[in-house]
Amino acid sequence: MSVRTVAGTDVRSIRRSSVVVGVVATFAAFVGLAMLGSSEVHPHPVRTTWGLAALVAWVLPLLLAPLSYLAIAGDRERGTITYHLGLPNSRAAYYGGKYVTRAGIATLTTALGVAIAVAVAFATYEHAPDPGQFLVFGGLSVLFALAMVGVFVAISASVATRSRAMVGVVGAYFVLSAFWVGPLPVLNLNTVLDAIASLPGVTIADSTRALIAALSPAGAYFNTLPELVWADAPARYTVFAQFDGRSDYLGFEPWYNVLVLLAWTGLAPVVGYLRFRQAELG
Amino acid sequence: MAAIELTDLTKRFGDVTAVEDLTLSVERGEVFGFLGPNGAGKSTTINVLLGFLDPSAGSVRALGTDVTEDPRAVRQRTGLLPEAFECVPNLTAREHVETVIATKDADDDPDEVLDRVGLDPDDARRPADDYSTGMHQRMALAVALVGEPDLIVLDEPSAGLDPNGVQLVRDVVREEAERGATVFFSSHILDEVERVSDRVAILQDGRLAAVDAVDSLRENLGMGAVVEANVDVPPAVEPVAAVDGVTDVTVADSTVRVSCATGRAKMPALRRIDDATTVEDVQIEETSLEDLFEAYTAPGERGANATTDSGVAEPTDTEPDARAAPAGGDPS
Repeated sequence: MSVRTVAGTDVRSIRRSSVVVGVVATFAAFVGLAMLGSSEVHPHPVRTTWGLAALVAWVLPLLLAPLSYLAIAGDRERGTITYHLGLPNSRAAYYGGKYVTRAGIATLTTALGVAIAVAVAFATYEHAPDPGQFLVFGGLSVLFALAMVGVFVAISASVATRSRAMVGVVGAYFVLSAFWVGPLPVLNLNTVLDAIASLPGVTIADSTRALIAALSPAGAYFNTLPELVWADAPARYTVFAQFDGRSDYLGFEPWYNVLVLLAWTGLAPVVGYLRFRQAELG
Repeated sequence: MAAIELTDLTKRFGDVTAVEDLTLSVERGEVFGFLGPNGAGKSTTINVLLGFLDPSAGSVRALGTDVTEDPRAVRQRTGLLPEAFECVPNLTAREHVETVIATKDADDDPDEVLDRVGLDPDDARRPADDYSTGMHQRMALAVALVGEPDLIVLDEPSAGLDPNGVQLVRDVVREEAERGATVFFSSHILDEVERVSDRVAILQDGRLAAVDAVDSLRENLGMGAVVEANVDVPPAVEPVAAVDGVTDVTVADSTVRVSCATGRAKMPALRRIDDATTVEDVQIEETSLEDLFEAYTAPGERGANATTDSGVAEPTDTEPDARAAPAGGDPS
């Protein structure tokens, strides 16, 4: 089976690279430190998932990006792609093999990070972690990581050089995460929506804003957590209180946001493949 | 049935035409040299042949299959040594070969394949990233040989190889041809091409300048050979010049120099000299493929329709004569 052969070759290649170990270990260390650092402050481990979610949304894509943007563009620039496609591998099999390995690393990194969080929680927190909460948190985090890696691999497959892939991946991260969710002043989606809403005769309802804000992987990821992970958090943590009585907009519905994450996870690699299928590889 | 059939192949990149109206047929079991200066379109042709690029116009068939419709089927039966082969990072040569064996579902022994190309077993088991250029090429050759392919495409197989390596490539090409494989290869080492090729094609500016056996190309250009005989008494020039195929005869001291338009004129000319005087020593200079290459690819010598072999490209009425000039003779 060609996908398996390509993926197997790719795994052998990248597992000997210190980059993979570095990505997995760095994320695990960040998670471990975050959990340990909060263990004396918050008796319940679920409170620390607030910070872990930020770690997943902002840091994890940056750790996975170096591995993902080179997946195919690196082979094209280096010339290694003629080795793979000089064999009876279809472009779909080659692309699939490359995606599978990157998705596998994203899953492994995220799952290991969450597992370490649970282990640290059991060992150091006053209250034991709720396995169900962490399982859902882990699942959603993996889904988010897969969505971002799918975008990155798709970009890698759509361009011919490493530099373009790097620019594309950094741009995608900025637009889909930093810009869309809005931690930066001015440079964010709300500024754009405010500007549009300020035009004569234009109004943007809050429900529409919520719907649009949920369209990026990071936006959707953050929107799933209040109901699916933090709903049963102890009332003493005021940080979760902001979600009490939240409007029942479609953009806040967990199912809608999970659907958005699934759409990114499934569609981005398909779009990347369609671009790669037409690429001139000479 | 032809192993490779290119019909009116054209490949454009935007406004640039890399290959134009290329029609070429390579028979099964043939060793076919593919020549041309840098930028002539050789690698583009090979990339189209393997399905890496889609043709802008024309058709490409390999081993009876339309490459644009089923490139995998073609590559299943093809061994490729691409130009400037780059290894998969951190993989050993043995792992490269094992991957090919697995992908092609072949039953080769990786160690035997690597031994055949002269790669040391210890080297074959360490990551290929640190290989020398020659070791890289040997590994790439091993990759191309897996699965006894019906078609072997070698793009500059001798690049970076020492003389032993070049000889190895030559031997491998001969062995594969004896096995029945078709070998299609480009090389800038023209001597290598000349030694092993049944026929050669010369590409110039994306168009076919010539395709034929090397001897036939010599004949077509009147660049057959030069016979140089050392004699005790210089003979009369006229009887030797009258030999069919002789284009020029000069005598200097005790040396008679006879230019022949065809290889077949050499022995009659030599006999004519021997009849008239005593020949003490003989040297024969064949026109090298390099000379032919220069004649076909020199500026102003573009011969898109220049030479024929089997009806692939028809000769023009005027250009063969024009190209005969460098050889100093009339091709008649």
